[in-house]
Amino acid sequence: MEVLLQVLIGGVLLGGLYALVAFGLSLIYGVARILNFAHGTLLAVSGVLASLAFTAWQLHPLLIATLLGPMMFVFAYGYYHLLLRPLAKRSHFESTVGTVLVTVGTLMILSDLTAKAAGATQRNIPLRMPVIEYGDIIISTTQLLILAGIVALTVIMHLLLKHSWFGRAVRAVTQDAVGAQICGVQSTRIKAMTFAFGSATVAIAAVLYVLSFPVDPYMGFSLTVKAFTIIVVGGVGNLPGALLAGVFLGVAEGLTGLYWKPEWAPALSVVAMLVILVAYPKGVGVKT
Amino acid sequence: MKNCVTRILATAGLALLMSGPATAKQNSCSDPILLGTTISETGPFSTLADRWRKLTEVFAEEINKTGGVMVKSCGKKLPLKFVIYDDQSVPATALQLFEKMATVDNVDFFVGPDWSSLGGPVPPLADKHKIPMVMANVATPAVYERGLKYIWGTPFPVVPNWSARYFDMITKVSPQPQSIYFITHDNPVMKGISATWSKKAEAQGLKVLGNETFSPEMKDFTALIAKVRAAKADVIYIASYDNASVPLVQQMRQLRVRAMDVHHTMLTGALFRQVGKDIEGMTGELSWYPGVKGDYSDLVETVMKRSDVTMFDYIWTLGRLTSYLTMVQAIEKAGVVDRERVKEALFKGTFKSPAGDVTFDEKGFPNTGAFTVQMQNGKVNVVWPPEVATGKLVWPSPTWQQ
Repeated sequence: MEVLLQVLIGGVLLGGLYALVAFGLSLIYGVARILNFAHGTLLAVSGVLASLAFTAWQLHPLLIATLLGPMMFVFAYGYYHLLLRPLAKRSHFESTVGTVLVTVGTLMILSDLTAKAAGATQRNIPLRMPVIEYGDIIISTTQLLILAGIVALTVIMHLLLKHSWFGRAVRAVTQDAVGAQICGVQSTRIKAMTFAFGSATVAIAAVLYVLSFPVDPYMGFSLTVKAFTIIVVGGVGNLPGALLAGVFLGVAEGLTGLYWKPEWAPALSVVAMLVILVAYPKGVGVKT
Repeated sequence: MKNCVTRILATAGLALLMSGPATAKQNSCSDPILLGTTISETGPFSTLADRWRKLTEVFAEEINKTGGVMVKSCGKKLPLKFVIYDDQSVPATALQLFEKMATVDNVDFFVGPDWSSLGGPVPPLADKHKIPMVMANVATPAVYERGLKYIWGTPFPVVPNWSARYFDMITKVSPQPQSIYFITHDNPVMKGISATWSKKAEAQGLKVLGNETFSPEMKDFTALIAKVRAAKADVIYIASYDNASVPLVQQMRQLRVRAMDVHHTMLTGALFRQVGKDIEGMTGELSWYPGVKGDYSDLVETVMKRSDVTMFDYIWTLGRLTSYLTMVQAIEKAGVVDRERVKEALFKGTFKSPAGDVTFDEKGFPNTGAFTVQMQNGKVNVVWPPEVATGKLVWPSPTWQQ
């Protein structure tokens, strides 16, 4: 029983991190209609930067997140305007193919540049904090802090989308870009800001991620695939759905590792997601 | 227009024929001896090999300082030259590059590659082009059991000898361990090591309580570690490349895994830098270390010093250098730069290395082994066999018993 509880705790934590990665992508795809294949790589790169900042300057992870978020926002905003926005003027087919090519190219360039600059070895923030032992169950304070971070970020994002002008504008553009434009919402600017916001979110998620798991410059694509899976199952633009789907994915991986074989965990969890999609084609969760 | 195109193509063809690297011709006494190799300078295995290009170039410089390789039929020494490419740790890339070295660069012989995942697809190329290939760190016996006639290997150690000294050691310690749990990285050589040594552990009277395999991309080991903790094995044997096991080792510490000993098949400097104090008290294998005198040990020490390679950071360096030493000795034994004669010299041959004689069987498989080491106060010490030990074994490991 205790072993099962330990695995469930780990699965919820991992799933929460997956969900954070997926939030940003969900917004980006929902609003800007961009399949950003470099999304996971942004986490990997941000994680490497966070680890370097911790190792070199002993910066507190909270401070690192505070610095990395805005940095990634500015980078992503410029990236959108320079490389992705020009594609929107093309035909639908050219725009889609072009976006895929640009984001896949970005993924490769970012990975190689980071590996060249910082090395290809895995890095993390090795914060060793006290653990809470309850029988055979061990929960580290780090895990609790990460969980608190995930909850806080989720609540902040939810409130932002529900109650701020930016959130209303994002939802308006998602529903009808032309209609939103007529109502005075500059949909192009909102798309750029959403892209930047989603990227900033993943940078903050990266800091939480490297507190528990190591990152390397080449691991991004597998995370992007997981994020895509989560937003498809959770529903595009649906944050509670993405959170549910993310937690389900994390728990499914843990339980597969416990009751069957750890090496089958990634494959079986995706199969489980596909089964859910068959049962709920529009995804799970309530729309925000 | 047609004439213009024809002229352009003809000129390009001529330029192509006249260009390309200078290549040694077989049985030549005027050209350098050309050895072709790939090194994993980038990709997942780069932490084990990213300084080896410099190592290789320095090796050639040191050999050429005394004139090069003695070729009896020429009555003189011929300089040694390497053609080096980065295989990016990718088998398909290695295959393309070796093909290129055979057909475009026209190398005389092959040395390398490393790693059993590359040792799978690349060796048949040696047979295809009839170019003798002395692979470096390819330790899986299955690679050599395909009836190929032009391959040999100098991994230190080979899978059947990988933990021979470790398992000898644990029969002589007190308290003696009764059980063992294997955790295996999903990789050909690591699975080979686990399969071989779990059988030997059982033959030795140890109870094998489990064998879990994990994929290289795995980051969350909670479920796996929960199983290991529940089993309460005396020894935990991690068969994994260093990089892949970083989160495993860290999470084992966080989740308070207890054992008399945690043994790692790749206890490297790269692992130490990534996990830090978490590695303390772990045991592992090391092929050789400077200070152990043997044939060519001075040359190897000089080459490593000049290329800033330490044995703990790059534990497979001896295998790499021994592939070069073996090829050089084979050419000297053959007395001529001729592929078939060198092949004969390599067949079932015995060659010198700093860690002792390397003897090949009829399949090109060597007899190499390794010492047992333990991380003690942030330093790696050889602890077995006692006659070459640099430190006293601490058993059970205090940091894994707390």
